[in-house]
Amino acid sequence: MRLIRLMTLRSLRARPTRWLLSAFGIVLGVATIVAISITNRTALLSVTQLFESTSGRASLVVVPADKAEHGFPETVLRRVREHPEVDIAVPVLHVPTVLVNQSTPAEIDLDFFGTSTGGLLLYGIDTMSDVLVRTYQLRAGRFLGPENSLYEVVLTETFAKDNDIRLGTWIEVVAGNSVELLRVVGLMAKDGPGQLNGGAFGVMPLLAAQRLFYREGKIDQIDVVVSNASASGPRLEQVKEDLQARLGETYVVVYPASQGQRMTQMLGNYQIGLNFLSGIALFVGAFLIFNAFSMNVVERTREYGLLRTIGMTRPQVIRQVLVEAGLLGLGGSGVGSVIGVLLARGLTRAMALLLNQDLARVTVQGDLVVFGGVVGIVVAVLAAVVPAVQAGRITPLEALRVRGAQQTSWVIRRGWLPGIVLLALSTAALIANPFPYDVQFRAGSVVVFFSFAGGALLIPVTVTALERLLRSSISRLYGSSGRLGSANLQRAQARTALTVGALMVGVSMMVIVWAMTDSFKGDLDVWLRGYVGGDLYVTSSLPLGNDIWRRLETLPGVAAVTPVRYFEVTWVKPTGEREEITFMAVDPASYSRVTSFVYTEAMPDEQTALRMLAGGDVVFLSSIMAERSGLRAGDEITLLTRTGARRFTIAAVVLDYYNQGLVVQGSWVDMRRYFRQSGASAFMVKAAPDADAMAVKDEIEQAARRRDQLIIASNAALLQRVNGLMRQAFSMFDVLALISMLVGFFGITNTITMNVTERTREIGMLRCVGMTRAQIVRMVLAEAALMGVIGGVLGLIFGIMLSRIFMLAMTVMSGYRLTYVLGLGRVILAVVVAVAVSQAAALLPSFRAARSRILDAIHYE
Amino acid sequence: MQVLAARALAKEYRMGQRSVTALAGVDFTVERGEFVAIMGPSGSGKSTLLHLIGGLDKPSAGDVTLAGQELAGLDDTAVTLLRRRNIGFVFQFYNLLPTLTAEENICLPLLIDGKDLRPYQERLSQLLHLVGLEDRRHHRPEQLSGGEQQRVALVRALITEPAILLADEPTGNLDSKTGLVIMELLRRLCDALTQTIVLVTHDPRTASYANRVVFLRDGRIAHELHIAPEVPLQQNLRSIVAMMQALETEADLVDADTGMPAPDLD
Repeated sequence: MRLIRLMTLRSLRARPTRWLLSAFGIVLGVATIVAISITNRTALLSVTQLFESTSGRASLVVVPADKAEHGFPETVLRRVREHPEVDIAVPVLHVPTVLVNQSTPAEIDLDFFGTSTGGLLLYGIDTMSDVLVRTYQLRAGRFLGPENSLYEVVLTETFAKDNDIRLGTWIEVVAGNSVELLRVVGLMAKDGPGQLNGGAFGVMPLLAAQRLFYREGKIDQIDVVVSNASASGPRLEQVKEDLQARLGETYVVVYPASQGQRMTQMLGNYQIGLNFLSGIALFVGAFLIFNAFSMNVVERTREYGLLRTIGMTRPQVIRQVLVEAGLLGLGGSGVGSVIGVLLARGLTRAMALLLNQDLARVTVQGDLVVFGGVVGIVVAVLAAVVPAVQAGRITPLEALRVRGAQQTSWVIRRGWLPGIVLLALSTAALIANPFPYDVQFRAGSVVVFFSFAGGALLIPVTVTALERLLRSSISRLYGSSGRLGSANLQRAQARTALTVGALMVGVSMMVIVWAMTDSFKGDLDVWLRGYVGGDLYVTSSLPLGNDIWRRLETLPGVAAVTPVRYFEVTWVKPTGEREEITFMAVDPASYSRVTSFVYTEAMPDEQTALRMLAGGDVVFLSSIMAERSGLRAGDEITLLTRTGARRFTIAAVVLDYYNQGLVVQGSWVDMRRYFRQSGASAFMVKAAPDADAMAVKDEIEQAARRRDQLIIASNAALLQRVNGLMRQAFSMFDVLALISMLVGFFGITNTITMNVTERTREIGMLRCVGMTRAQIVRMVLAEAALMGVIGGVLGLIFGIMLSRIFMLAMTVMSGYRLTYVLGLGRVILAVVVAVAVSQAAALLPSFRAARSRILDAIHYE
Repeated sequence: MQVLAARALAKEYRMGQRSVTALAGVDFTVERGEFVAIMGPSGSGKSTLLHLIGGLDKPSAGDVTLAGQELAGLDDTAVTLLRRRNIGFVFQFYNLLPTLTAEENICLPLLIDGKDLRPYQERLSQLLHLVGLEDRRHHRPEQLSGGEQQRVALVRALITEPAILLADEPTGNLDSKTGLVIMELLRRLCDALTQTIVLVTHDPRTASYANRVVFLRDGRIAHELHIAPEVPLQQNLRSIVAMMQALETEADLVDADTGMPAPDLD
């Protein structure tokens, strides 16, 4: 223990900058892991809790299998109540509406890959029985009376406050084509059921709701409370299966929390990105530790040699280095965990924005913090294993040699051999992707780690070759000092290799981020331009009827209007497995006049495909679903309709990222006859060639906005906002690239400082024989520039290779097949950034070298 | 009692295609309490001999027995333990850890051995008193002069009561006055503690403190000079210098590679 205190802690104290830099790597990695795990868990917990708390005591929920928005007959309630294990079954009617004087949002509220139009959600409930299931925390007034036909409502306190509604007053709500009055009798907390629809929620008597909104005899959901003995475990599962059998295929019996599936599914892909981020952050951290320890071993060769001479065994030396790493990991993890918890707050807020949903408060979650800490320590120790073994190999004789004499290690001479093997194997593994789906991400990260290690092993041999190649250019650029600087690169090969490695990782991370985001943005742009066609996008908080479509068409300056409608359907896979996807219904005739689909396979005749779609029993499939399921044009896909499972022929595969790409496009006719849906979610409007789009927008606003509660956006503005949202979502990755470059920056500063210190006497001699201070600066800068160019070029090659592999892997994992985009500008920029970073990092050490006094320098030992 | 015995010790180094003989069959023994100086010109193999007897390097042929143990039969860990407990080293460049105080540097071999430091406190004080560093024990190397640093290195080498102390040019980095102080110290240690010392040097003044001077030339022992304890240092020095001159003259007459008399060019 004393030895650790003396050797380890003193060593850490003696080189604060280097150790702080290494600890920074671990802080970064642990903070990211802790933040991301806490955020992921908070988000999942919030979604689950939301549906659990809104369902109160209910253990099961019955909903229609086709997710139809027009509900099902009340009579089903009786069949549920007849089950002997069911204690209580309460009906719920969902009524989306808007206040007549509710301020219509001026622009469409975008969430991640979808739109949310706000509005007020009312639940029609059985006032007597519903309170036995759900707890409404009343804050003012009273709850709904026992009479189910009264036109009264209990609203959430926050919604009432936002819209300036007082207790006892009447509110005007839109019901179909008319306006109805409801009396506010109570205000409830935005808690439990009050959290629904982001708090814009209220409850009213069932009978009144059915009458007001033309839904007589219909309900949308039954919440079921089972007897205490069956409330959990296999007994509950049995009741669920019994009820499912009793109600048949038209209905599904689910657990309350599973209703959040779509939201959690949406989080899924984003979380893959976040996990990727935490993996990379940890890798960068590990590399910093590896780099610092390797340099430390080189620098302390003499010290380790001495320790070996006076009797320290190899295992003792190795243990010494590993304990240093462990302590560093411990410190880094501690700070990282604290930062991680703070970061989780910010991330949770960002995710809440993307989901358009309030998330639970972030709390310190002990197990995740401990997990992050353990990972930090393990990574720190693992990263130090190779340097530790190198330290253990130092012979006592090296203590007796003159300072700076270094042996060329086997890794420097022959490392390229295992490097090539590692690189080839990891590339093959990434392309073939033989890993099971659930471990793909973790296994993939490990493989990427190995490929980086393989690349790093190739560096020494590449540095030698590139130095020879670039020597004359550097000499021309930096003069005679450049030649000296260039030659210096070969002197401390291990150190040079590590620095170039740090830069390579930095540049390749930057290139990967650029390639991924540019490719994704490129494809997204292509899709959006096709998808949000025409000039204006018109939507509303309420379903849009055919009458609005016709009225819009007759307005002056309007060339064409086409409706789109989104609703959830169940996709029955060939394996029998079911998945919720989006059905996007279009009217092929008007659609082709306003915009067009982006086909991913060569379509000989677009008109034929559209005609097939108009003919019915046909869908277009998104490229992501095609990739994931292996389905192609000409195959069939099974969807659950109101009349049971039905097969649709796939006429084409199209680019569509709506709902994370889980979408099929079908015709308006099929929507009506198989899914019994009506009304549009939005209209796309094309202005006449001679008309100004903004003038048409004004025209629509004047004619219909107030009456139909329309929200109108110009497509240009919409695209701009989507792009803004994308930029926000990808900005985290830019931060990652920046951090990677910082690693390169610190690496170069570290190396050049060490080189300069080590050559103090030599620099003194050069000054002695007449080298000017400026020449010394140029010599040091030339050495750094060469490292910059080599690191930049290697990083570029490696980055392009890895980003291409990542894209292939992503296609297999999530179905996204992107067109690779990496402009020439980016390629040049990568190398320029690497050189600029190298020059900036070498500036201070070069001045330090130039400042040294000749006499001090030549007497330096 | 014999502390060290080297038999037919040889060492060859490969330098590219060429092999260089550093030691060519040296037989060498040291008795307990002896103070032996190894002398010779650069490249004579004196440092190589010290490395081999200290277990820092492996011989190409021959063997070394130190404190009753044959080095050839020991693995790396066993040699390390032997070094830790039976050999003390002093180098030209002190080799102190800059982050530790004088006392901590001295106790390092004990700490590495996992020893409780308390029983060694008396020896530590005694040694510090002997080298005159009692008031400098809590200073770091950068706060000490070269001579003081070398004295700390000396105490570090002695703290484990080693069977033998090996010193490689211990005065090489010091001015002549400080160098003499260090040599006085070594002499005193040898007498007071019956400490066996083997020292490598090219300086006859340093060698004059020894009981026996071994002259190496071209990897072989060329001559040995035994000095009686009562002989004054000045007389020792004269004998050593005379021997060095004689050996140099002889070397001029003999071709180093063939061992044959050099051709007369006149």
